[in-house]
Amino acid sequence: MMSNTIKTICAEQWRYWLRTKVATTVLILGSVLTLAALVVNAFHIEEAAHARENLQHEAEERFLSQPDKHPHRMVHYGHYVFRTPTPLSVIEPGVDTYTGNAIFLEGHRQNSAMFAEQRQSAGLTRFSSLTPSFLALVLAPLFIILIGYGSVSREREAGTLTLLLTQGASRWQLVLGKLVALMLASSIFLLPLLLACLYVAFSNESALVVTLFCLGYALYFLLWAVVVTACSTLFEKSSASFTVLIVIWMSACILLPRMGSSVATSVEPSIGKLEADFKVEEKLRNLGDGHDVNDPAFVKLKQELLDKYNVNSVDDLPVNFRGIVAQYSEQRQAVVINEFAESRMQEELAQARIARQFGWLSPTVALRSFSTLLAGTSIETHHRFLREAEILRMQFVQGLNKVHVEKLDYKLDMNRNSSEEAADKAVVEASNWAVLSEFSFQPEAPMARLSSAAMYCLQLLLWVGVAALLLKLAVRRLNP
Amino acid sequence: MMRFNDIKREAGFVFAHRQFKLTLLVVFLLSTAALWSGHAEMQAQQATIERLLEKDQVEREAVLSHQDSYGMVAYYAFHLTYAPPSPLAFAVVGERDVFPWKHRVRMLALEGQIYESDTDNPELAFLGRFDFAFVVSVLLPLFIILLLYDLKAKEREARRFDLLNVTARNSHAVWTSRTLVTLVPLALVTLVPFVAFAIVNGASVSSILLACIIVLGTISVWSAIVLAIGAAQRFAKYSATHLASLMLGVWLITTVIVPVTGHTVINAAVETPEGGKIVLTQREAVNGAWDKPVEETWEKFIETHPQWSDYTAYDPKRDGSFNWKWYFAFQQVGDESASELSNAYQQATIRKNQLAGYVSLLSPSLLTQRLLSNTASTNVQSMIDYENKVRAFHASLREFYYQQLFAAPEFSESSLKRLPQFTTSSQFTTTPMNTQENTNEK
Repeated sequence: MMSNTIKTICAEQWRYWLRTKVATTVLILGSVLTLAALVVNAFHIEEAAHARENLQHEAEERFLSQPDKHPHRMVHYGHYVFRTPTPLSVIEPGVDTYTGNAIFLEGHRQNSAMFAEQRQSAGLTRFSSLTPSFLALVLAPLFIILIGYGSVSREREAGTLTLLLTQGASRWQLVLGKLVALMLASSIFLLPLLLACLYVAFSNESALVVTLFCLGYALYFLLWAVVVTACSTLFEKSSASFTVLIVIWMSACILLPRMGSSVATSVEPSIGKLEADFKVEEKLRNLGDGHDVNDPAFVKLKQELLDKYNVNSVDDLPVNFRGIVAQYSEQRQAVVINEFAESRMQEELAQARIARQFGWLSPTVALRSFSTLLAGTSIETHHRFLREAEILRMQFVQGLNKVHVEKLDYKLDMNRNSSEEAADKAVVEASNWAVLSEFSFQPEAPMARLSSAAMYCLQLLLWVGVAALLLKLAVRRLNP
Repeated sequence: MMRFNDIKREAGFVFAHRQFKLTLLVVFLLSTAALWSGHAEMQAQQATIERLLEKDQVEREAVLSHQDSYGMVAYYAFHLTYAPPSPLAFAVVGERDVFPWKHRVRMLALEGQIYESDTDNPELAFLGRFDFAFVVSVLLPLFIILLLYDLKAKEREARRFDLLNVTARNSHAVWTSRTLVTLVPLALVTLVPFVAFAIVNGASVSSILLACIIVLGTISVWSAIVLAIGAAQRFAKYSATHLASLMLGVWLITTVIVPVTGHTVINAAVETPEGGKIVLTQREAVNGAWDKPVEETWEKFIETHPQWSDYTAYDPKRDGSFNWKWYFAFQQVGDESASELSNAYQQATIRKNQLAGYVSLLSPSLLTQRLLSNTASTNVQSMIDYENKVRAFHASLREFYYQQLFAAPEFSESSLKRLPQFTTSSQFTTTPMNTQENTNEK
């Protein structure tokens, strides 16, 4: 296993860190922050999960407890769905605070998600957030740098490097000893994260996903420890190693993720929902208004029905013609709406993918993509939520329309506006509201998440390879 | 006293460092890239607004063309509202990527519509914006630390330290002028591109000056922090990199820890109603009205609109086959039932923003960000002002349509020319038909 020389060098390094204030302060600060972030975030997510689950139940109960009424009124009464956070959002909340988490579902319209939490933060959490993933991705590398930038160069500056090498330590042993020491130090930041993952694994997340999630973070920490040790070995002076490492940190952790986001916006402009809505309306204008049975667009539908049932007027049809029209136009409209919704989602996905290509330039971006995808807090999972909400919307709206067709008499229906008594007659029983099914949002299946995260795992591995090469180069060039 | 010759000599030394010139170049490029991307973004937003305005007109005309009652028009016609980017928004995207800046509303209950949002890609917003404000508030302090932390150490290493102190007329002046020749070019490479873009975008001179002062203020504050740490007797024995670690510690605490702690505390301290509750309440009220006696709706409606108390009777001959005025009255009542919650929600946003303002006094970066977004009107308050403008516009729509629905003049398409138009100024007035005003609307 590890040679005694490496062990000695590692222990010596730790003795040095514990003596100096900077290193101990950083170690304490880092671990306290990570713990605080975990606790605060875990409480927050737990609370949000409860609140949204309760609202979901409340919405379902309210729908089901509606009195007897006209089925089309229930179409407009609508329903709410709430997205509950995924288990791993305790560590990586991802886009959760940026997307709304509630959608109002109703007939004839596809609404967007409401109440993005970010709006309530008054800009305080725009650069940083007290989330474990921000600490691990952005701050931990800085801590690793502050602890380790001088590990080898300090020995050189103090003249002890020659001593160490002449006493029989090989160059690799020396550098590995320093690296192991730094890895141990960085694992102090990693440890709370791993414990939290263990906790998540015992809730209801796939063990494989959680393991790979942990592994991703462990690789990332290893990567930084390697880079820091390599730079410290490469540069003659501690100050040069320090400056270079800080510049690397600034570009990889702060600058490039944002560059990616800005480049994606300009390379792949996306039309907003409003603009898409206009296009939908333009297309729909020719399709007819589902509220008005006399709209010319429905004449053909009417004729077909009359022929089918071999009757002369809609009054004689065994089904409610208004319901048929509502059903028919809802279906046609949904096709158009979803065509545009789908293309909007594809645009957003394309943008996100461009931003993620910056993972080839920055390991931080690579791990960010990897961890949001695995945690189910990426744009993909949000889109999944939107799609499932749409499925539910069509299901209950068309279910109600079916009730309208089959269970409501056409003449009573047409007469409904003549008086309040007539309106009271044009209703169906409340038991029909059971067409609404329960909604409980789940992220993609573990395998699906793993396969979409595979590419970003590759980016991360590439970075580990680059770092290893850098270390090799540094060792080769190590001269006292 | 500093003399021009001192400065010239120091400039010679400073500019002889390749690292310094490289840093200046990088800052220049970052500043320009951030400005360019903000500029492109705002151009795109402006173009979007223009396209939307055009489509809004076409769409509404199409809707109006085949309607024959005010009720139908009010039900089907949407109206575009928008908050155009200010001339300085290119420098500070601010809250524009989490708050909506475009919105379509119609005569239905507003609480069901106002929280709809057409914001940008959430994943990109999550990764963050690379705008000028970010460069100034987050990156610039880091560059200042990198440039100044080894001001003296570098000279010691080059064995010029004593020489410099001895040959200068005043040893203090050496370091002052050296700091100046470092910072002035830094400020220039940051600000020159900004001023150029600001002029292109037609920003006012006063706002440009204000933004420049904020940037210079940021540079001064951070330089003061860095120099104070460097000169402190307590740290006299520290190596240059230890000092730099301390400076980074200050950056970390003020830029990261103060804001996130502030956020956590503020969130715990300010009670915010669950957003979902607002819309659920509003929906119950609106949909429940169908099952309640008509009089109940009228009673509540008349409380806030006494001017229409004599006009609530429904006459199918005059009002058309559907009782539209009752329909819109219960939309209004629905909004009123949720108005307390909705107000509390907005108040909580404002309160949190206020408290965040106090927190920012502890964090130069946050303060810079906030001051810049105040200057560019991309702060929380501006976005709330926009929301309130939408509310005011919706109120003016109601005023217009109530006039038509209650006073029930013959339907004429020409009267629709008086439909309120959304403008970016804050006042919406319908062309008055009579003097009845309704002031109770929120």
